[in-house]
Formats: sequence, C-alpha cells, structure tokens
Amino acid sequence: MALLMQLTHTHASRCGLRLKLFPHIRRTLIRRRSMAEDITRLDFLVIGGGSGGLAGARRAAELGAVTAVVECHKLGGTCVSKPLPHINLGSYFVHCPTAPPGHFIVSLCFINATLKAKRDAYVSNLNRIYRNNLDKSKIQTIQGDAKFTNNPEPTVEVNGKKYTAPHILIATGGRPSALSEEEVPGASLGITSDGFFELESLPKRSVVVGAGYIAVEMAGILSTLGSKTSLLIRQSGVLRNFDSYISTNCTKELQNSGIDLWKNSEVKSVKKTDSGLELAIATKDLEKKNDEEKISTIGQVDCLLWAIGRQPNTSGLNIGGIGLETDERGHIVVDEFQNTSRPGIYAVGDVCGKALLTPVAIAAGRKLAHRLFEGKKDSKLDYSCIPTVVFSHPPIGTVGLTEEEAIQTRGKENVKIYKTSFTPMYHAITSRKSQCIMKLVCVGKEEKVIGLHMQGLGCDEMLQGFAVAIKMGATKSDFDRTVAIHPTSSEEFVTMR
Amino acid sequence: MAALWKGRRRWKTNNYFKVLARSLTGKYEYDYDLVVIGGGSGGLACSKEAAQLGQKVAVLDYVEPSAKGTKWGLGGTCVNVGCIPKKLMHQAALLGTAVKDAKKYGWQIPETLSHDWGTMAGAVQNYVKSLNWGHRVQLNDKKVKYLNMKGSLVDENTVKAFTKAGKETTLTAKNIVIATGGRPKCPTNIPGVEHGITSDDVFWLKNSPGKTYILNVYSSDVGLECAGFLTGIGLDATIMVRSVALRGFDQQMSGLVTDYMEAYGTKFAWKCVPRRIDKLPSGALQVTWTDTQTDSQHQDTYDTVLWAVGRAPETKALGLDKLGVQLNKETGKIIVGADESTSVPNIYAFGDIGEGRPELTPTAIKAGRLLARRLAGQSTQLMNYDNVPTTVFTPLEYACVGLSEEEAERRHGKDGIEVYHAFYKPLEFTVAERDASQCYLKVVCESSGNQKIVGLHFTGPNAGEVTQGFALGFQCGATYSDLLNTVGIHPTCAEEMTKVHITKRSGLDPTVTGC
Repeated sequence: MALLMQLTHTHASRCGLRLKLFPHIRRTLIRRRSMAEDITRLDFLVIGGGSGGLAGARRAAELGAVTAVVECHKLGGTCVSKPLPHINLGSYFVHCPTAPPGHFIVSLCFINATLKAKRDAYVSNLNRIYRNNLDKSKIQTIQGDAKFTNNPEPTVEVNGKKYTAPHILIATGGRPSALSEEEVPGASLGITSDGFFELESLPKRSVVVGAGYIAVEMAGILSTLGSKTSLLIRQSGVLRNFDSYISTNCTKELQNSGIDLWKNSEVKSVKKTDSGLELAIATKDLEKKNDEEKISTIGQVDCLLWAIGRQPNTSGLNIGGIGLETDERGHIVVDEFQNTSRPGIYAVGDVCGKALLTPVAIAAGRKLAHRLFEGKKDSKLDYSCIPTVVFSHPPIGTVGLTEEEAIQTRGKENVKIYKTSFTPMYHAITSRKSQCIMKLVCVGKEEKVIGLHMQGLGCDEMLQGFAVAIKMGATKSDFDRTVAIHPTSSEEFVTMR
Repeated sequence: MAALWKGRRRWKTNNYFKVLARSLTGKYEYDYDLVVIGGGSGGLACSKEAAQLGQKVAVLDYVEPSAKGTKWGLGGTCVNVGCIPKKLMHQAALLGTAVKDAKKYGWQIPETLSHDWGTMAGAVQNYVKSLNWGHRVQLNDKKVKYLNMKGSLVDENTVKAFTKAGKETTLTAKNIVIATGGRPKCPTNIPGVEHGITSDDVFWLKNSPGKTYILNVYSSDVGLECAGFLTGIGLDATIMVRSVALRGFDQQMSGLVTDYMEAYGTKFAWKCVPRRIDKLPSGALQVTWTDTQTDSQHQDTYDTVLWAVGRAPETKALGLDKLGVQLNKETGKIIVGADESTSVPNIYAFGDIGEGRPELTPTAIKAGRLLARRLAGQSTQLMNYDNVPTTVFTPLEYACVGLSEEEAERRHGKDGIEVYHAFYKPLEFTVAERDASQCYLKVVCESSGNQKIVGLHFTGPNAGEVTQGFALGFQCGATYSDLLNTVGIHPTCAEEMTKVHITKRSGLDPTVTGC
C-alpha cells in the first residue's frame, strides 16, 4: 500500500511537473477533458433528414440503435419539399381535360396560386408526418448545419454542440447546379427547380435550359399549363443517357406538344429589361463544319429556368478535413456497402451521385441499417435493374440496359431487340394524339430481358410489375407465356412479335 | 344473263366432280385447310395465324341482330359491344371526374358541367367502325377469305353458309374451328322483359339512355361497368343485385369496388329481384321489384332497363347436335379438351364458346393462335389457362391475377397463406381532395417456404396498366421477397406493391403513411 501511494504520488508530481514546464500540453489535457463532457455519444448519427437519411435512421432505431438526425431545413428533403410530388401532381392532371370524348364548353384557365397553396399544404403535412414518425421512433432531431470537426474520432458539430457515434451516415443529398456570372453574365436572373415551386403565378413566357429529365418535366408542365415555353438544349436531343428510341421519341413529343425546342444552343448572356428578361442565345449550325454560331434573342421572358444538372451538398461539411474521397464532381465515393474511404462513415443517396432516386436512397439507407445494427454482413442494395420514370408528357418508363449499353457489353450478335409503337386507345376519339413506344432489349439464346424502355400514357404505372419480373430474370418467352390484360397499353409488352 | 347462268352451272358441275372425286379416290381435296366460324377476337387471331403459316383459310362472320335490332360489323363482341366501347365510355366517365378535380388544381371550370351522349356515342361508334374496316383490311392482307355469312356444320369437313339474303355456299375444310362466342342473356321469367336492352344495344344507342335500371346477376361485371360509366357521365343509374356482385372474384375486393361506386353516386339495390316491367303511356318503364330481405314490394320509373344477367353461347344455328358435338347440359357451351378439340374429330372450339374457358379476349386470341400452329403442324404447345390476369373497368378499377383470398384459403388452409395488404392513397387524389378509402392492394402468399405469391389484387386508377407486369412476375413464380427486393418507382401507385409489409394476421393498421 505504501509503495502504491508512493508511486502514485510520484506520477502525479511528474504530471504536475510536466504541466508546469509545458503549458500547451496542459491546455490540450484540459480541452480533452472538457470535450469528453460536451460530446454527445450516439450509436448512429445521420446527417441529412431526406429520403435516405430518414429511412436509415428509422430502421436503425427499430433495430435498437440510439439515433439522431441532423437537418438544416425541413424534414423530408428534396423528394418531399421539391420536385417529385409536385411534378406528378401537375403533370398527371394537365393531360386530362384536353379534348375529352364528351362535349362541353369550358374555358380552361390555370391559376397557379390555387395549386401552390394546396401543394404547400400537402408538403407541410408531410413534413409534420415525418417529424411525428421520428418522435415516435425516439430519434432525436437536431436542427442546424452539420460540420465534421478535427477530432481524432469522427465528430460532428451542430450549433456549437458536438456529437459522435461509431457509425455516421452522410445523406445530405444534392441541389440544382447553377452557372456563375463569369460563365454566363446575368445567370443569377434565372431560377432553378428549387425556385420553380415557389412561383406564385404561371409565367407567360418561359425558357428552360437543360436536356435532362428535370428540364423535360419542367418544360412539359409549364407548356401544358399555358406558358409559352422554349427549351434550350446543347445537342440535338433530350435525355441522351436514355435509350436512343426514348430520346428520339421524347424530343419529338416535346415539339409536337408545342414546346419551342432550340437544339445545339446555349445561353450566352441574360439581361433584365422593362418587359422581362432578354436572353442572347448561340446556336451551332451543324451543317456548316466550322464552329460558326448564330446569335439569336428571346425577349420578354418572365421565367428563365436552369435545369442543367445537380451537384452534391457537401460544402460546409468539411469532408475534406476528415479525408473522405470524392469524385471529380464532388460526390462522396462509396463501395457497394455504402462505406466511404473512412471507416465508420457511410453515405447514401444523391450525395453519392449514383441512381438519384428516392426509393434507391431509402433502400440503401435501410440495407445499411440492417448491416450495422442487425449483423447482416452482406446487407447491401443491388443497384442493377432499378426502374425509373420520367414524368414527361406522356411519361417514360425505363429499367435495365439501353440497346447501346447491351451491344457494348454483350456484343451485337448476342442482342435481340423487340419494338412496337401504336396510338393508345385513349386517343381513339381525341383530336390530339400521342404515341406509345415500347422496346425490349434481350440477350443470349434464351433471350433474357435485360432492358425495357417505353414512353406513353400509363407508362409510369406500368413499369413497376415489369421491373419485378426483369429483376427475377424474365425471358422473352416468359413475356409471351403471360396472358394479356385487355384493353390496356401494357398488354402490348406480352404480345410483342 | 346467259353468262351468269352458264357460270352457275359450271360451279355446280365443278362441285359435283369434286365430291365425286373425293368419294371415288378416297383422296380429299378440300376447299380450305381451315374454316373458322366466327370473326371475333379468337376467330380472327386463329385464321390470321393459320394463313401466315401458309394454310388456306376462310373465316365466316355473321351478326344476328339483337332483339332491339342492333347489329355491327366484323370483329366480334370485344370490338363492337364489349371491351372497346366499354373502355372508351369508362374513359369518358373518368374524364368527367378529372374535370371536377381540375378546379382543385387551379383550372377555372364552370360550376355546372354537362355531358352530351350523342357526341360520345357517335365518336365511339365511328371508332368501332374504323376497327371493323381495319380487320377486313388485315384479313385481305393476310389472304384470309372473309365471308359475311352465317355458317353451320354439315359434316366434320363441310360447312354450309348463308348470306342475309339467303344465298347459300358450301365450303369444305380439313379442319373446322368454331369461335362463335356468346350473346347476352335476358331473364326468362319477368313479364315485360322485351322492354329491356342488353350490352349489345347500350353502346349503339343514338340517344342517351337517361335514368337507367340495371339488373346484375351472376358474375356479371358488365352490369357494374355500365352502371359505373353511366353514373360517371351524369346519369341516374340504379343497379339491382340479387346476391353478390362479381361472384367468383375476391369478395373483399368486390366490396371495395361497389363501395366506391356507391360513394360516387351509383344506386345499389341489394338482395332485390325485379318482378315486372311495364311500359307507361309516356314511354317510360316502370320497374316493380321485391326486396327479399324485407319481402316488400317497390316501384320506380326509368327511361331504360338494361339486362346484365350473363351470356349464352352462340350454338343454335350451328347444327352441332346433328354431328354429335357434345355440349355442357347446363351452360350449353361446347365441351372441349385441353387442345380445344370437341367430341368430333377435325372440329375444334375455343373462346367464349368453350366450356370452362375464361370469357376474355386475350385468352381467345392466344388459344386461337396456338391452335392454328398445332393444326398447321408447327407446334404442339397447348394453351395455358392458368394465371390469367383480368381487370374490371368499374370507376375504381380492379385488377387481379391468381387466386382470390377465399380460394387460396380453401386450397391451402387459413394457416397455409399469408396475406400482405395496404390501403394507399394515389398522390393525384390528395390535391383533388378525393376519398381514397377503397384504394387497396393485397398479395396472397403461401405462408411456408419462400412465400410464393398465389394471388395478387389491386384496386385503384389504371389498375390494368399496373397489374400486367405483376402478372408477368406471377407467371415467373414470384415470391413475396421478389416484390420487396425490387426498388419502387416513386411516386406511383404501383410502387406500393413493392412496399407492402403489413399482414392481415398481425391485425395492424395497413394504411400507408409516407415513405
């Protein structure tokens, strides 16, 4: 005992000596002690209360993990607050009252304010439901901006308070990309899809810039609701990453619907005038082999909408500080199990830049929760055969490989294509017509269906069941053996020759 | 004239020599490889397929006018008085609902909206006529001989055919296929039954049927579908059901369909039977009926009475009894084998006329094509009548594939099945403030093993479009986890099928609440 006390005394005096001689060590020791008091320890910390973050958090909590979600805006993320529900609400409805079979005289005029009020109410309701769900699951919600600190253990600071957990999930999503004033003078006079849903009234004259699905959806909604709409694309078609059958058809349908499509065009500058915005546009003439550009102007524009892509929400997080690997566009790099380059830190959803879809983020979040908190070592999301729909007019549905991808990966001789196009019966007696196109991409002797692509009325609801079968490995003869449901458009898939 | 007479004599002589040659040499030279009696969905598919395979084919189609005198062109029930006009009128009704929803979406719509029957019916009828024409062109292109004549069997290789004017033709064929389908029945014991119309007539009416009374018996979805679209276009429709609606279908789903219709204005008279129909001096029809639950008598006046009491096979004029083709005594339909053969060699029957066959266009088309391939010696594949998906196009559409929950329970026992279900709300209903209480889906699985799906049911908008792909999955032997392992498409109604996780057994609330 005496020896022990002697040794202790000696140790303490040695420490004391050290503190006197080296003040910075003293400061460090004191900080570590006080930090140990200030840091809240959790089992699972989720940064981002959107589709992926909430799904992962809720599933983890169900599995017994003490969980918290950090969110700087409203719960629900992009999906709820921004594009998805609204696009569907708008676009579903707008194609209905044009040329019905019955006869009625009505003057159709659209008032955005009514729709916006109802939509805002619906979204607020969803925010509230998400909040309640989190409370019920005993998940702590932390309102504020998160930032990784320089602590050795991964630690996140929000509003001056610190949190740590052995498992931290980054699910901060993305936001629309914007051009700088250097790139296009006057670019900030335009809005993005985030601003679109704040519009109180329908713009008389709209210009949408972009060739991706968001541009296509926005242009479609604006045009059908009555805004004179132009769509500016840099090349000759929209949806260039989709199967070329879809890309060509969608481009055609946009033009047929009355959208003023400018191909091979870019906005050079934007000016504000008394009568609205004036855009200077450069259009390449592909027939002339030189780089000569024709400059045109679109004036009196009420709404310039940039839909030129999305970028990950990682600024302010200090992920560079903790050494997370990112790609050239800033997306967090993850492996098939959603692990980042730093153990104990994961990422799901749009911030990873792969398959930017709500159900993907939800599924990946849940699979991760099962892996981390239920010991399911192999739990991961299979990213193949993810079905996706574009709410264009008419809607597009696609799952699996495009014809081009199939030929590239399997060889042209192994790929067999089945295609059809027809006018849906809905248009039997309307003067306005739209086509329905369908394509199956099959591979190998057994003609396994590895890609399905379609555009037409009802394609948004049609795709889900086919996605189940294709994921199961359905072949063309499985399609042929299935009896059709009549009269529908979807039956054309099981009667293709 | 002389030339014509000479020609006629030459034809008769030719025919005589053919028959003589046949009986002397034992070598048969038929006019056709295949004669198909009936130019509906099945008959046309069969004849076109056979012609494509190099067979010499003739198809006979003849429409006996309905009791009210309605008649139509080539294409059969589906094209003229079934699926096609029904779905178009259903669409007209849906558009009416959509226009009402439009106000909530910001469209400025006048307070009162009216529907003009004449415009709709005219447009639908014109479309059907274009299909009749299209079918004729197709037959011509595929070199199928089309005869607008009424055919009947003389022997197993001979068909006699008559035009409307009574002109006769005889055709001989190696094989004969009967695909004459069916026609709506009328009740037999109600005085005044002749005042009513059937589905043969309703789509061809030039004037609005007005306030309509529909008697719906047996598994008739026709009655429900008609009541649905008549209500949807603003007419006063009452449907009288003796026992249950949609017999043979899943009864829980059937209840949701009828609940929705009632909520949206269709009047239902349950467990009632009509007693008589009287035509009043005004031209209106007075219907007297008994409520079997209270045993009380009631009366009301209608503009139109529509009988939807089932369909009877078209076999009367075929001469089947002469040849000994066996019929089911109860239904009157032709008894057929798995290969569509009848009790007489070389005579086949399929489609609505076949006993035990689904009365659906797609099964008739498929069976017809497979039969043509077998008869041409190109295949031995038989028609698979299992896993047939179907959709009822009532205002809230209902689609299903596989077993009803009741049938699944009967076969596997209550503990042998696990039923996953969900009440969901289509996104489009939200802003429109529409009640979605009957939008529902259920997946009936085997409870053991890998939980193979044995039945799948869905009520909601676009049910037919939603279900086709799932029917394919079902055909491939999908299990419950195949549904869950597929990423959902958001936001759609169909995705709910991949998210369903509450079982009936758990007793938990199956209402979907957000992601």
